[in-house]
Amino acid sequence: MGVAVEAKTVVKMFGNIRALDGLSFSFNAGEIFGLIGPNGAGKTTSLRIISTLLLPTSGTVQVFGLDVVKDAAEIRKIITYLPEEAGAYRNLSGWEYLEFMAKFTAKSKDELHRIVKEAAEICGLGDRLKDKAKTYSKGMKRRLLVARALMTKPKLAVLDEPTSGLDVLHSYHVREIIKRYVKEHGVTVLLSSHNMLEVEHLCGRVVLLNKGKIVAEGKPQELKEKFSSTNLEEVFAKVVGLA
Amino acid sequence: MFPVLGAVMSFSVQSAQESASKTAILILNHDAGENSTQFIAQLNSSLRTYPVNVSTIDDAIALLPVYNATEIIEIPDNFSQSVIAKTGVHVRFYSVFSGGGLLEGVGSSIVDALVQQYNRNLAPDVVVSDRSSIIKGKAVDIDPRMLSTFMISQSIAMPVIMMILLSYSMQIAATSVAMEKEEKTLETLLTLPMDRFAILMGKLSGSIIVAGVGALAYMIGFNYYLGSFTAVIPSGTNVDLASLGLVPSLFGYLLLGISLFVTLLSALAVAVILSAFAEDVRSAQSLVGYIYPLLFIPSLALMYLDINALPFWLRMVFYAIPFSHPILASKAVAMGDYWTAGLGIIYVTAFTLVIMYVASRLFATEKILTAKLRFRGLRKREKTPVE
Repeated sequence: MGVAVEAKTVVKMFGNIRALDGLSFSFNAGEIFGLIGPNGAGKTTSLRIISTLLLPTSGTVQVFGLDVVKDAAEIRKIITYLPEEAGAYRNLSGWEYLEFMAKFTAKSKDELHRIVKEAAEICGLGDRLKDKAKTYSKGMKRRLLVARALMTKPKLAVLDEPTSGLDVLHSYHVREIIKRYVKEHGVTVLLSSHNMLEVEHLCGRVVLLNKGKIVAEGKPQELKEKFSSTNLEEVFAKVVGLA
Repeated sequence: MFPVLGAVMSFSVQSAQESASKTAILILNHDAGENSTQFIAQLNSSLRTYPVNVSTIDDAIALLPVYNATEIIEIPDNFSQSVIAKTGVHVRFYSVFSGGGLLEGVGSSIVDALVQQYNRNLAPDVVVSDRSSIIKGKAVDIDPRMLSTFMISQSIAMPVIMMILLSYSMQIAATSVAMEKEEKTLETLLTLPMDRFAILMGKLSGSIIVAGVGALAYMIGFNYYLGSFTAVIPSGTNVDLASLGLVPSLFGYLLLGISLFVTLLSALAVAVILSAFAEDVRSAQSLVGYIYPLLFIPSLALMYLDINALPFWLRMVFYAIPFSHPILASKAVAMGDYWTAGLGIIYVTAFTLVIMYVASRLFATEKILTAKLRFRGLRKREKTPVE
């Protein structure tokens, strides 16, 4: 298994604000890797840089050997990105939205149908897929968008708060889908989450960010042992100095 | 916006009045009597008159540029006889028609006033003015005031259509980008395996189609609209407006259509750029509104004014504004001046290419996500405590 993502001394400035301060981490293909941290820690900025939405001020980031600055167009062919606050086109039905998105990747009509059918299974919206997205609840929209992110079986799926707004059952369903996709289809997943239970259940390794810097890194179990904590929430609180 | 318009109009009216006071008239006098000499002297008291020693009106028309004149008065050989007998005598007034605008007829109005004054000293309607026009060096039996009305209507149509088309299309273009930000679909869109320039063209194409259909509808409707004006030509008058060059030729319509289209394209690209700085649809629409003075001021001003009558610096300002050029082109092609229309197209095309390049750079970089317009000065004033 090769290296999926490698970030080296990444700095990102927004004016005078140093959002990322020399970030360095890497993870391998086939992993589920988590970025966790308090609000404003730099998680979303990191995900956006890896997804080629933002450029690093300095440092390098490579996705499967491709540079996010020089090879951005190539990277977009092998990744999908699910923003924390994402929307669907209001006047398209669920089916139409999935078909529209699948057309960017599918090379034939058969492949298109297969992808969309798979997405329908992932989101579990059933007959509601015939309705326009503007009639969906927040949770239903999120399920549709998660399906969009996974349906094409990308090499890397970048998921920012994938289960945000979902109830317990659907969150569980999505987590199982993510695990299945990694195991069966070799998808690599980079996710961020505030849900420590989810992170513990899903991620093979995690990185804790605070104020643009990495403050802890490792497997969830190892971190709990290292910080004498019973769960990642406690680790989190101790590391950022609240406990 | 209105104070600026008022200043432009006021200056131009003043300019027109000054030009009118310097109106030069050629006198083609076929009469040998004293009364025609007195009549000419009366005209000379307010205007510059130049008697010409030619026998036909065509010969007199050829002398217009020599004397820098815009009017010819042809006094018939029975003028003095008719004045003495106080029977009506028809004096023909020829006015050069250049299609410049509402204020073009000011000089002719002064001549009318002088004729009325002459009649007051004699008896009503002794001298009856018959009006003709000189169009591109040819005398035509149409009252120039009628032609002015026609040309003014023509010159109102294009600015009105422009204002409607551009303002509507710009709102569509700005909304299409701002909506992506507001609905939180932009980030997903920008990470899809699609060329960023293709995304920009996709955003513009919807507005271009609307604008293109609008431009085509305008061309067809405008042609029909012009055709309806043949009704104002008196029956029995054998006049072909097309042969006079007062209706655009097919090539003229083509130039006009191209001018309108490239101007629309530049407006749409500007709207897209502005919307990149907005966070939602409402603020994008507000930002686009700041462009409207550049659209409305030239449209309203050029409806009534001849750009050549404006001072040099003001002319340059109007030429610099891309939205002026379809209006200038509509006046120019009606008079057969294809160069003005063509140069305008070249300028607006160059402007459009620059704007499109800026827009494509915006879409290709993170600026499309991070750019925001902040009105820092306004915020500082709001924070200042009231004493």
